[in-house]
Amino acid sequence: MALPERRTDIGPPSYKQFLPPVIKKNYGSWKYHEILSGGVMVHVAESGDKVYTVRVASPRLLATETIREICGIADKFCDGFVRFTSRNNVEFMTPDESKIEPLKKELKDKGYTIGGIGHRVSNIVHTQGWVHCHGAATDASGIVKAIMDELYEYFTTKELPNKVRIALACCVNMCGAVHCSDIAIVAVHTKVPQPNDDLLKNLCEIPTTIGSCPTFAISPNPAKKSVKINAEKCMYCGNCFTVCPALPIKDPDADGIAIVVGGKVGSLRSSPKFSKLVIPFMSNEPPRWPKIVAAVKLILETYAKDAKKYERVGEWIERIGWEKFFELTGITFTYQHIDDFTFMRDTMRTASTFKYTS
Amino acid sequence: MEVEEIKKKIFEVLEKAKGKKKLKEKDVCRIVSEETGVDKEEVKRILRSIIDEGKLCYSYSGGASSVEIPSEEYLKEKGML
Amino acid sequence: MPKKYDTPLLNELEKGPWPSFVTEIKKAAAWNKMAADELGQLEKSYRTRLVYWKHGGIVGVRGYGGGIIGRYSELPDEFPEVAHFHTVRINQPTGWFYSTDALRMTCDIWDKYGSGLTNMHGSTGDMVLLGTRTESLEPIFAEFSSRGWDLGGSGSAMRTPSACIGQARCEWANIDSLDICNEMTQEFQDEMHRPAFPYKFKIKVSGCACDCVAAIARADCSIIGTWKGDIKIDQDAVKWYAKNGTDIQNWIVDMCPTKCMSYDGKELKIDNKNCNRCMHCISKMTKALKAGDEKGATICIGSKAPIVVGSLLSWVIVPFIKVEPPYDNLRALIRKMIEWWDEYAKPRERIGELIESKGMRSFLEYIGVPPVPQQIKEPRKDPFWFFHGDDIENIKKLEAEEKKTGKYKF
Repeated sequence: MALPERRTDIGPPSYKQFLPPVIKKNYGSWKYHEILSGGVMVHVAESGDKVYTVRVASPRLLATETIREICGIADKFCDGFVRFTSRNNVEFMTPDESKIEPLKKELKDKGYTIGGIGHRVSNIVHTQGWVHCHGAATDASGIVKAIMDELYEYFTTKELPNKVRIALACCVNMCGAVHCSDIAIVAVHTKVPQPNDDLLKNLCEIPTTIGSCPTFAISPNPAKKSVKINAEKCMYCGNCFTVCPALPIKDPDADGIAIVVGGKVGSLRSSPKFSKLVIPFMSNEPPRWPKIVAAVKLILETYAKDAKKYERVGEWIERIGWEKFFELTGITFTYQHIDDFTFMRDTMRTASTFKYTS
Repeated sequence: MEVEEIKKKIFEVLEKAKGKKKLKEKDVCRIVSEETGVDKEEVKRILRSIIDEGKLCYSYSGGASSVEIPSEEYLKEKGML
Repeated sequence: MPKKYDTPLLNELEKGPWPSFVTEIKKAAAWNKMAADELGQLEKSYRTRLVYWKHGGIVGVRGYGGGIIGRYSELPDEFPEVAHFHTVRINQPTGWFYSTDALRMTCDIWDKYGSGLTNMHGSTGDMVLLGTRTESLEPIFAEFSSRGWDLGGSGSAMRTPSACIGQARCEWANIDSLDICNEMTQEFQDEMHRPAFPYKFKIKVSGCACDCVAAIARADCSIIGTWKGDIKIDQDAVKWYAKNGTDIQNWIVDMCPTKCMSYDGKELKIDNKNCNRCMHCISKMTKALKAGDEKGATICIGSKAPIVVGSLLSWVIVPFIKVEPPYDNLRALIRKMIEWWDEYAKPRERIGELIESKGMRSFLEYIGVPPVPQQIKEPRKDPFWFFHGDDIENIKKLEAEEKKTGKYKF
């Protein structure tokens, strides 16, 4: 069969044709919204119109079969429109309040998880992992699934002092940009890449490879038309592997998981913050990574217990102090926590006004 | 200078760099322009026309994009040979 | 028939209440050979704790350098159906709104040519179609583009811009984030599809300081809606909040970062000239508080993930700019910024990194934005700085003027 005529540089179809009628009608004139439950909210327009939103979780990785099922539900309850959120949730919207209960029932019957709205744990933003990435130091979807099974109630019902944004990156490239999340899981390599000299001389540009190293650990190896890596300087970031595939860095025992916390992107109350290191390494333990799940839960529940209303994780830690964070969570403080890369002078304490911990 | 000659020059430059340095679109335009005296924008227009035909391709390896001469194997896979 | 793999480890991830990606892969693997081998290879990764994908550089559609990510299995003999397993990035409709017809159309094409597996959506925002063969790329592109869809960005190029839900369903949105994002996507089509930049360049648009698309942390160019003018207070609604359980003193007034609010139990007051528009009070008392009337955006530049020398948040460059159709000022500003970056950057250098290495002054001068205190948290601390061109001469001229007038000007 002949293919249709290709077109270039047309961009995506206009979003305007995909807006539900009530959204289109009240575009730009919404008055307020209320959160009715963990996964339902209503937005009220100046016109008095209302739109109800039911939010459900997705694993991000969806089979077309599931997308078709979502379409079927949206046809039945939402006039044939549906929306996805920036955190991989699915939103069903309708102006008709009487449809909410039947919609929720149908979603529950079909196994969907309703929640993620308000001061809760929303879906985890994550990367591809072993499913589809060439540089992954861990799987992404598997850890996310294991964590969210454990934190399930924090998505559906239980409330927290404020929203908690969790993210996961399967290497330090951080395609999911997890560096500003309340709690982030980031996979790290811990072994120095071993140059494959035979491959390297054909595959890689030596100056570019040398230039890729942030700690200047790479130098030329002219005898082999390859490069050498100074193990004492290497921080295993893997940037050289990105530039030169002949510098393999993956290793099943040396690759593992770190946890960083306290970041945020919103400017509410305090400026956006980076997440900071709290656990430098835990081994990869598929299929359910129990220690990582336990660590995330520990941090989340310590925050839930100790933070004041509306404090994000990072704001809570800044109020109590990092020394108190380590005390409350019982997480061991190590050499890795002290920045010896680029930011030591900004991160060391320069006053004697710390708090004692037991 | 004739368009065909500029096209030939573009291939020459890429052939010479093959395996040594990955050239970005901008590099190709600069080098060809320097060696032929043809305006960079004109070189870019011609380069783009070759890319549109599929005889040259953008590539993404080593974490950056470059312009490359596609392998026969790849063109076969694409059904272009 | 697709091959059936024994997957004892992945089966563990079908247990528990959260939706399972393994179940999704199995749904497709039931009829699709590629999805079946993806499942097989993934189980092997779970067994060995190693990844088995290779990056494939040159893979794409004719004329474009973006939108397709080449992916090959390192184990093509063991998993032949995923020997090629390329990703197709389809530029999402701005805001991720879909009609079910459009979604089904996508599924139809993907079932015909690909693995039947997707990501809704990728981290940058695209609809990601996971896994197809090289020979299917042109047909997939023809099928999508003929129906009005295009590929997203990849490589050293403009990446697919994205936006929060904005005025479509949010009362806090100060700017029309969807329209701005859509217009910028259309503006930079060439730059998205033909990777000619030093490295990636991302644009994200958020309607307010809540920043639901993480523009401040994830975009080279972060466009964040804000306002000028006084916050509008409905005192009756304030009373409603007080009556309905809001502890206005503790939860609102005391948490205001600039301490510009006061509440005497009856009336809420805001000292607007000291407000930094953080959105805390507005987001907690939406019925009572509305942003000021003059809407616009703050443009921040430079954020990125940690590679190479640490992560960056975007820096305030233009404190306030009006952003109204046809957005000519915004288009010109972004083009100017990119022009400077393209001129000076090394390969793989992001704009934030270049500003650090080449200096903020070079950047500001090029784009024609003056230095203002809103751009910084604090001035430099050590007594080393550059004087350029006629900086000193201008100071001398000013001093000569002062001598004449007898009035100092600092």
